Amino acid sequence: MTAQMKLGAFLWATGHHIAAWRHPKAHVTAGIDIDHYIQLARTAEAAKFDMIFCEDAAGLREANIDIASQTSRSIGFEPISLLSALAAQTSRIGLVSTASTSYNEPYGLARTFLSLDHLSGGRAGWNLVTSASPIEAANFGATGLKPHADRYERAREFAEVVTGLWRGKASGHDGQSFSVRDPLDLPRSPQGAPVMVQAGASDVGRDLAARTADVVFTAAQTFEEAKAFYDDLKGRMAAYGREPDDIKIMPGVSPVVAETAAEAREKHEELQALIPDDVGVALLSSYLSISDLGRYPIDGPLPELPESEGMKSRQALVVEQSRRDGLSIRQLARHFAGARGHWRIVGTAAQVADELQARFEGGAADGFNVMPSYFPGELDAFATLVVPELQRRGLFRWDYEGRTLRDHLGLKRPD
Amino acid sequence: MDNGATMHLAVSLFAETADPSPEPEFSRLAGLVQKAEAAGLDMVVLADSAPASGGEADKQMPFEATTLLAALATVTSKIGLVAAASTIAHQPYNLARRFASLDIISHGRSGWNATMAQAPREATNFSRPEGFSDTDFRRRTEEYIGIVQGLWRGWDADALLFDKSAGRFHIPEKMHLLDHKGEFFSVRGPLNVARSPQDTPVLVLSGLSEADLDISARTADVILLESGSVEGAKARYDDLRRRVAACGRDPVAVKLLVNVSPTDGGPTVAADRLAEQFQSKSCDGFNIQLPAQRSALDEFADLVVPDLRRRGLFRENYRGTTLRSHLGLSGGGEQ
Repeated sequence: MTAQMKLGAFLWATGHHIAAWRHPKAHVTAGIDIDHYIQLARTAEAAKFDMIFCEDAAGLREANIDIASQTSRSIGFEPISLLSALAAQTSRIGLVSTASTSYNEPYGLARTFLSLDHLSGGRAGWNLVTSASPIEAANFGATGLKPHADRYERAREFAEVVTGLWRGKASGHDGQSFSVRDPLDLPRSPQGAPVMVQAGASDVGRDLAARTADVVFTAAQTFEEAKAFYDDLKGRMAAYGREPDDIKIMPGVSPVVAETAAEAREKHEELQALIPDDVGVALLSSYLSISDLGRYPIDGPLPELPESEGMKSRQALVVEQSRRDGLSIRQLARHFAGARGHWRIVGTAAQVADELQARFEGGAADGFNVMPSYFPGELDAFATLVVPELQRRGLFRWDYEGRTLRDHLGLKRPD
Repeated sequence: MDNGATMHLAVSLFAETADPSPEPEFSRLAGLVQKAEAAGLDMVVLADSAPASGGEADKQMPFEATTLLAALATVTSKIGLVAAASTIAHQPYNLARRFASLDIISHGRSGWNATMAQAPREATNFSRPEGFSDTDFRRRTEEYIGIVQGLWRGWDADALLFDKSAGRFHIPEKMHLLDHKGEFFSVRGPLNVARSPQDTPVLVLSGLSEADLDISARTADVILLESGSVEGAKARYDDLRRRVAACGRDPVAVKLLVNVSPTDGGPTVAADRLAEQFQSKSCDGFNIQLPAQRSALDEFADLVVPDLRRRGLFRENYRGTTLRSHLGLSGGGEQ
């Protein structure tokens, strides 16, 4: 059998598009409706997705209260409790949640994810983030965001402790940021250890991923960017005694799919038209880790930016795109609001499948994290239109091969 | 409401060598909780195994309590679900979020069991090898509880608008910052989880010493106490009521449940004991501590509970849908 791509269903609030909640068919109460999420999980499982993916922030998304009130992202489920609930309502699909190394302790986090792994029969994964938002920092006693390098040093030690605990490491840890005396008091994971996911794309983030990740989630607009990232990360693994296949690289993709290309474009335009300018600019500002983009002319170019302590890799991506395509702040804001810096494909199932196939077979991706623009409609569309197309082409499974998330992803079971 | 007339019944399931069963452990536990629900009990209290407390490995549930609660919430519909969670293991913002989310998942049936007693050695696994002194731990826990309850109240019940055409998701003025700056924590807020369907999750305090009674009177919805002598219990109950009233709260706003372990003598003797203690007006009900085994729960649910009902001491059915409504606490089901 030839290699098949891996697929994640990235569930988020009313949808990944910033204005998703305003779409007539979006489920506007998603953030307080567990049945909605159970339905999404069942849709993704019926379509044989490898996993559900949830991101997280321990705080509001927007510093500006008025902007926040024009988005649906200020309230929602805490993802570990959400996925634990979904574990009892699904039987095969992987369950991956984001959690921060800056605002947790490794012993508690390792124990919580191991519990999710037992509840789900070996389907859990942890997406490690270091948290780049000062809004989050203010909820944890910090007066400012810690420098990028410090966050990553803490994350490296955190990951080392967690993976040691999951592997039943008995002796204690006494390090720079953490000390842990005992082994975990739960039995070993049904899949050896929960799956470790990472998303940091900076140099230090890539090294951490090459050393410890099983799956890497990334943002790449063009084939060349995706390919360069893929080759770079896989190239770093040998230094840590790992095989290239030990990490599955899954770029985010935000498809807008319909029966015809014209319908897909229409659907996309309908969503874009729902973005208020101030919301789009605020979102762009937060991705650039600057606070005052609103004071520049909205139809002018992006100003020169200081290097951020927040999300370095994301900032570089936005700047690169604005220069390349000559986009104004307004255009850039709309563009990024749509897919949050991720790759967007608007078209028919065959067109979407063509694009995914080209990146997969061109060695730029092992699979994709699918970011539907609104729920449930765009997840349904991907499941009923694109998945069967990929299956017919032999690019995606007809049924699950195993029981655990490691089985689905074709990952080794750790010793 | 005849809160005075009906006793409140909780059950704590502690890890015990499992029944021989081919079922996955979660399914087995779910069956137990469904049984407790069929018996109409107010709530199940899920302990969280204390790491390094010397528990035997084969007697430990393979689950952390808050994640277990979330999964159980989807396979039950009435019974309250209370999980223990440590103030050492979680940051207050994270814990407040977890329970706020659990409360929405369970449609207003969740509660947090916080202990006022520091688990021996726990802090050594959380980068605090020196632990806390008893007085520091008490002040820290009090501050912690205040933060969590404050965060739970950060969104007004009518804050969410969902107005698609006007583009307004919520009303900014109905979302409140906490801006807490204290001795141990500073937390800006607000929580990024919506208001609870039962106003706030239920706060259940246990592990209390004498010095914790005022904190409990100010903050708790339920307190769990060990049983003492009959005379002592009556004085203790009256004292708690006075303290609650002194905090400006309705004296019945805190329910006192006494921890009880099953004794020899069969269901009639057990029902006699509970009836006597309840009728002496020394508590609001009981937290029955049972091993997580079907046989133990069946005896209580099938024999003791019906006996208490025949005596008119326990309600026939659930009267509401939230844990607060089961407990006769304000905030339940009025949202």
